Amino acid sequence: MSPHRRVAVTSPQTRLAHARRRHRTAWRPPTLDPVDARVAMRVYRAQRILVAQALLALFTFLFGLPLVLRLFPSWDGVRLLGVPMSWLAIVLVPFPAMVLISRWQLRRAERVEDVGELE
Amino acid sequence: MIAVFAVAPVVVITLLVGLRGVAAMRTTSDFLVASRRVSPLLNSAAVSGEYLSAASFLGVAGLVVKDGMGALWYPVGFTAGYVAMLVLVAAPMRRSGAVTVPDFAEARLASTPLRKLAAVTVLVVAGLYLVPQFRTAGLVLSVVSDSPYWVGVVIAAVVVSVTLALGGMRAATYVQAFQFCFKLLLFIVPAIWLLLQVGPQVRHEAVHPVPFTHFSHDTAVDFDLEVTLLLDEPLTVRTGDGRSLTIPAGEYRVADGSTLVFPAGAAVPGVRGGAAPGGPDWSRPLLDVNDADHPLLGTWAVLVATMFGTMGLPHVLMRLHTSPDGRAARRTAAITVGLLGVFYLFPGVYGTLAKVLVPQLYLSGATDTAVVALPSQVDTGSTGTVFTALLTAGAFAAFLATSLGLLLVVAGAISHDLVPGGLARLRFTVVAAAAVVVLLALPSVKLDAGVLVTWGFTVAASTFCPLLVLGIWWPRLTAPGAIAGVAAGLLASAGAIAVALFGPPLSGLPALLIAQPAPWSIPLAFVTMVGGSLFGRPPAWSSAAMLRLHLRERPGFDHRRSRPPARDLGHSSWSARRSSAARRVIRRLGR
Repeated sequence: MSPHRRVAVTSPQTRLAHARRRHRTAWRPPTLDPVDARVAMRVYRAQRILVAQALLALFTFLFGLPLVLRLFPSWDGVRLLGVPMSWLAIVLVPFPAMVLISRWQLRRAERVEDVGELE
Repeated sequence: MIAVFAVAPVVVITLLVGLRGVAAMRTTSDFLVASRRVSPLLNSAAVSGEYLSAASFLGVAGLVVKDGMGALWYPVGFTAGYVAMLVLVAAPMRRSGAVTVPDFAEARLASTPLRKLAAVTVLVVAGLYLVPQFRTAGLVLSVVSDSPYWVGVVIAAVVVSVTLALGGMRAATYVQAFQFCFKLLLFIVPAIWLLLQVGPQVRHEAVHPVPFTHFSHDTAVDFDLEVTLLLDEPLTVRTGDGRSLTIPAGEYRVADGSTLVFPAGAAVPGVRGGAAPGGPDWSRPLLDVNDADHPLLGTWAVLVATMFGTMGLPHVLMRLHTSPDGRAARRTAAITVGLLGVFYLFPGVYGTLAKVLVPQLYLSGATDTAVVALPSQVDTGSTGTVFTALLTAGAFAAFLATSLGLLLVVAGAISHDLVPGGLARLRFTVVAAAAVVVLLALPSVKLDAGVLVTWGFTVAASTFCPLLVLGIWWPRLTAPGAIAGVAAGLLASAGAIAVALFGPPLSGLPALLIAQPAPWSIPLAFVTMVGGSLFGRPPAWSSAAMLRLHLRERPGFDHRRSRPPARDLGHSSWSARRSSAARRVIRRLGR
């Protein structure tokens, strides 16, 4: 054994507990303090609205863009710096847009959690 | 020679970085979720590194050559999956305190059968995803070094399983985060070099595509798989050993392993089941799956499958559990959207250049090698060789990083969910699972990697996506309903795969819906889950189990923010909330 071997320092009980075969503990129903439950309900309701809005924005954008490209085939002919507009539309538009949507949703979701707990 | 310079450093660096993650490890949680101490930035780099598999590094550019510009919707769907994950899943999922997806199912619905079913689904998804990774490792290595196919498969398996068995999730995190930066660099720098090097003529052709109808120069095509060519007129070609061969008009079957040299100026033969790149359909920015003639529906189907599939991928969800809390998990998903967005700006560059420089790859179907084949077309000297080596190294890093996460999720499903055991069994399962995957990957050289991965996405989308979304947002979900929904999604997607493999050839809309079953299998799973739950009555604790997921974890939080919590009662909110006399006392002391 090399002198530099790292050893986990634990109490004898912990060592025994880790060495034993683990039996799954019985599942217990989750409990919530009444205060926590009120906060959680408030946060949940607020988050539900935010989630619906964010998903609406994402889906409208994602499924709308192919529809627009399908309805306006003339965009293939329009060129920006030599590259067809419709090619740029599926590379340069979606990724920044999705970054903006996630940033927006992240801020709102965190704000709801903060406010929900303070009230 | 390229192989040694390209692959050896990747292997060595993977092992070294992995060793850095080997730390004192005592519990399953240490092994599977790195003790939940991974910061959002590191975690998102690891998620991106894990997610950018060979399919992203090589596959998307290859699909552009094969299917046209519409293939660029795949990366859009992949990235959108993380937006959906951020919105719907990330924070509540982490707050469940689970370690794996089946664990989450049990924590929310208290059903052991559901946990086992979910574990089996994890194995199906990970298997469909893992075999192509190992297969591509073998293929790439055999292409660049003339070594037999099994060498690459075994090297990949050994590196991945040693790293994981020693270091677990912590080692995987460091390796994946490092390999993300590595891949980003190795993808962007060659792209810029190629763009500058090709010259104005090629750049002009890249954005003004012309149909690939005639060979512009003597072109050698290696057929690794059997291909049926369709010729309008007889054509004289040379075979690999220099003899000349006249192919009659009509159908001609090229045996696998042969090489044909097409003369300059000859008409390009057609290929069964594909159109020559460069035509008007090719440059339309929509994706016509299986040439079903429904470009808009095809694009939507691919977006649905990739987006919801990404949201349900077990190895990505497992990475979210390594975050310290729900908020960090949500931030991880948000940063990942940005990191992937940067990477996915570039497959289009490779795709359009490959269409001009190596369009003949579509004849042999080997469009996956387009990215690696490009540098030698642009520069035949040593610079071209160096860039080929760089891209090969990046591709090898791509499937190592992905295999790490997948193998860990397989080990978790077996030794944490199906037959729960301790740390030693987890380490052993990693090695055993790697051995099984090698045995599966050896005979699957001829399988289409892209198709397998797509199926993996579809299965994940029609099972875990409804389970997670309804589990987190719908208090009335019951265990029987969830089991019925997961089973329905699994059967529907597996049935579609079986029909695609063994069923009669289809065309039009049915072909589209069989090739991309996600648009109907996901709603089917949702409806079954909701319907099955409405038949029963949720247990009394059901809404508490759901609301718990939306409550920000802060042990000892006093709702007035007077003080930060005095002590951290462990990394799992779940254990902190379990009723235990000792914990209750500690919590009171902490206030």
